[in-house]
Amino acid sequence: MESNSMNLKVTPRRVDDSTQALDLEGEVDVYTAPILRQEIMDQVDAGVKGLLVNLEKVEYLDSTGLGILIGGVKRMKEQGGAMKLVGPSARITRIFEITGLNRIFDVYASESDALASGGAAGG
Amino acid sequence: MSSSSSDASPSSGGIPTPGTVTLTIPCSPEFVGTARLTILGVAGRMGFSYDQVEDIRLAVGEACANAIERSNRRRGGPPADGQTPEHSISIRSSVDAGRLVVEVEDDVPSGNAAAGAAAAALGGAGDDVNPVELGALLMEILVDEVSVEPATEGSGTRVRLVKYAAGDS
Repeated sequence: MESNSMNLKVTPRRVDDSTQALDLEGEVDVYTAPILRQEIMDQVDAGVKGLLVNLEKVEYLDSTGLGILIGGVKRMKEQGGAMKLVGPSARITRIFEITGLNRIFDVYASESDALASGGAAGG
Repeated sequence: MSSSSSDASPSSGGIPTPGTVTLTIPCSPEFVGTARLTILGVAGRMGFSYDQVEDIRLAVGEACANAIERSNRRRGGPPADGQTPEHSISIRSSVDAGRLVVEVEDDVPSGNAAAGAAAAALGGAGDDVNPVELGALLMEILVDEVSVEPATEGSGTRVRLVKYAAGDS
């Protein structure tokens, strides 16, 4: 189900039989991060093996959002799946780099790149 | 108000007018965006690059989030919907010739476990990644100076962030 607050909209989307996407739009911060956490947990609980988190329209991401993404990667891994991040802006890519999280996150420029990479979230 | 000629623009290369802008927000997540908007306005006057302004915006957001986290921890969870936040955060931005100083001061009592949580996180190198530590790490990287000290008044915490106009970090 789509979740919406004034500052963040999260829209789940089925990509293929084994892959689900979450399209994010807006700001992921201490206020809106609980929405993202819930959406990721819903996918985990539904047994999704491949989750693409689409960051193309995310304008702001703080440590709370980073923490949720780390939790998502961990939970997906625990159930034998994988979570991939798609299309972060240069700004958010920089945040991944300065925190060293680019070594933990599986980041792709586009959804087709993520799908082509194989693995649980790929084709 | 009519548009002014370009030489009246404060960002046309001149030295920004010294001054202080203070904003007080309830210690609650939905107000952090307002604090970030204010800092965007202040930092935008200083001739910082886009990345530098964004760095300051994120650092201030992290300092506010840190106060909220300590408040929640003290309370044992976030406030219920509709409940008035019991604490507040004051964001004081001082502009002078070469730097922007932002002091983010809260009135969350820093007793026992909450004491110096931000400072501990700044110095900590634990294996577990948690948002408070990540936030502290981000503040350290994004601005030129960070210090965490007791609030000037009361028993809260003050996070002081300094960004130099000439710096590129």
